[in-house]
Amino acid sequence: MIYKDFRDFLKKLEEEGQLLNIDQEVMPEPDIASAASAMSNLGDQTPALMFNNINGYEQAKVAMNVMGSWPNHAIMMGMPKNTPIKEQFFEFAKRYDQFPGAVERVDTAPFHEVELTEDINLFEILPLFRLNQGDGGFYLDKAAVISRDVEDPENFNKQNVGIYRMEVKGKDRLGIQPVPQHDIAIHLRQAEERGENLPVAIALGNEPAIVTAAATPLLYDQSEYEMAAALQGAPYKVVKAKDSNLDLPWGAEVILEGEINAGEREIEGPFGEFTGHYSGGRKMPIIKINRVYHRKNPIFEHLYIGMPWTETDYMIGITTSVPMYQQLKEAYPNEIVAVNAMYTHGLVAIISTKKRYGGFAKAVGMRALTTPHGLGYCKLIILVDEDVDPFNLPRVMWALSTKMHPQHDAIVIPDLSVMPLDPGSEPTGITSKMILDATTPVAPETRGHYTQPLDAPLAVEKWEKILTELMNKQK
Amino acid sequence: MHTCPRCESKEATVVATSPVEGKWEVYLCPVCIFTWRSSEPETITNPEKYKKAFKIDPADIANATNVPAIPERKR
Repeated sequence: MIYKDFRDFLKKLEEEGQLLNIDQEVMPEPDIASAASAMSNLGDQTPALMFNNINGYEQAKVAMNVMGSWPNHAIMMGMPKNTPIKEQFFEFAKRYDQFPGAVERVDTAPFHEVELTEDINLFEILPLFRLNQGDGGFYLDKAAVISRDVEDPENFNKQNVGIYRMEVKGKDRLGIQPVPQHDIAIHLRQAEERGENLPVAIALGNEPAIVTAAATPLLYDQSEYEMAAALQGAPYKVVKAKDSNLDLPWGAEVILEGEINAGEREIEGPFGEFTGHYSGGRKMPIIKINRVYHRKNPIFEHLYIGMPWTETDYMIGITTSVPMYQQLKEAYPNEIVAVNAMYTHGLVAIISTKKRYGGFAKAVGMRALTTPHGLGYCKLIILVDEDVDPFNLPRVMWALSTKMHPQHDAIVIPDLSVMPLDPGSEPTGITSKMILDATTPVAPETRGHYTQPLDAPLAVEKWEKILTELMNKQK
Repeated sequence: MHTCPRCESKEATVVATSPVEGKWEVYLCPVCIFTWRSSEPETITNPEKYKKAFKIDPADIANATNVPAIPERKR
């Protein structure tokens, strides 16, 4: 699987019946965000949306919900669109193990078609619009932001590609939210300690491998480009920026080059976030844009974010789960079965594990809290047995309802770190965390009455296959 | 100059006009950085109808916290 650019991926979605063209005229507000939000309400199999006729614009095209469903996630992976989530998880984990993939450097890209260095006006270049009613402005929230380690600038692996919320705050000015748990905050701190501006590049409208890698909580010195190559199973094409030594994704529709002004903060937000709450009223860094390139008539890709589930949750569900799975397996290679950290970016995570002895599952829960992603998320960890599918929530509820004894299995650890957008944290960025052990007690922890688990009738698996085939024939 | 629906300062300016003439303008307030389009619903564009919980008093802006904190210069 390899999509050479954003348009190639959109074409594939359309061929698979997973892209809906909206040709009737829509208002920039409230129609586009409303339609994307409505689409999220219509289930987990929904298509991407392409708005081709936007009031006030001559040629603008806006793509939404591009990865906003499990079929679209599967197509991103090059898998059949009806692939179950658990299979997508294990396929993703397999490709993650192929890291690092190769990077291919080229000199030119389609986005070099149009270049601007003067009179830049982002409001004219991009068909910007408001997402949620309380948002303080028009945002970019699915763009890949690229920056380098200031103290080790030649180190390709420490170059970061991440997705951060950015408010358009002027014709050539953006506000950015570098949450302390994210890698760009390290680069910014290094630059500000030197009193230097931090060069950044922003890529909009990307093919899905780099979006997925950018949304994956990799280790600090793991390259998102090398991960994108591993995910797509082919070298990843990059091209150099002109104002810095940053590498840019070849397949982008639009590139903005600029720098974060050292020592400057300005009022930002609010912005409706993935937590289902607004956050804002804080002063955040400013990016000054110095150079823009884009394809002719660029497609503006945007993402509706709000009350979960939205596109964000499909986009980062598996990318959040797999690194935690791999990091837990490093510690416990024979026990960890699967991780589902798909709820509110992993604020809740479910881990399926074997047990070596009594108390083992709780230790797995504590290890999850100390993974890089766990430090900023994982407020609640639920442990289930190896034969409970963590992606099957009714089964997880069954485990909680029958295997968990609150006196022994509910542990609260006070005052740990969480990312500051957690509306329940108090003070901001600090929360207690909880481990719920819903695994079957094993020796020496012998309690409860678990010796007679229910076994299914003998031929269930055979009948699952027979019935699936019959149902498929009927379609 | 236009009145900002959110902080009610009178300094907002036009930052964009619709490519198709006469459809809308986009304004930006330099005080609270609120941005809006003239074609948006009145609950966004009209200072009197803008949601009270989201109003900003310009006097409070200076007290907002820096995220992330600005580190000390080391060299």
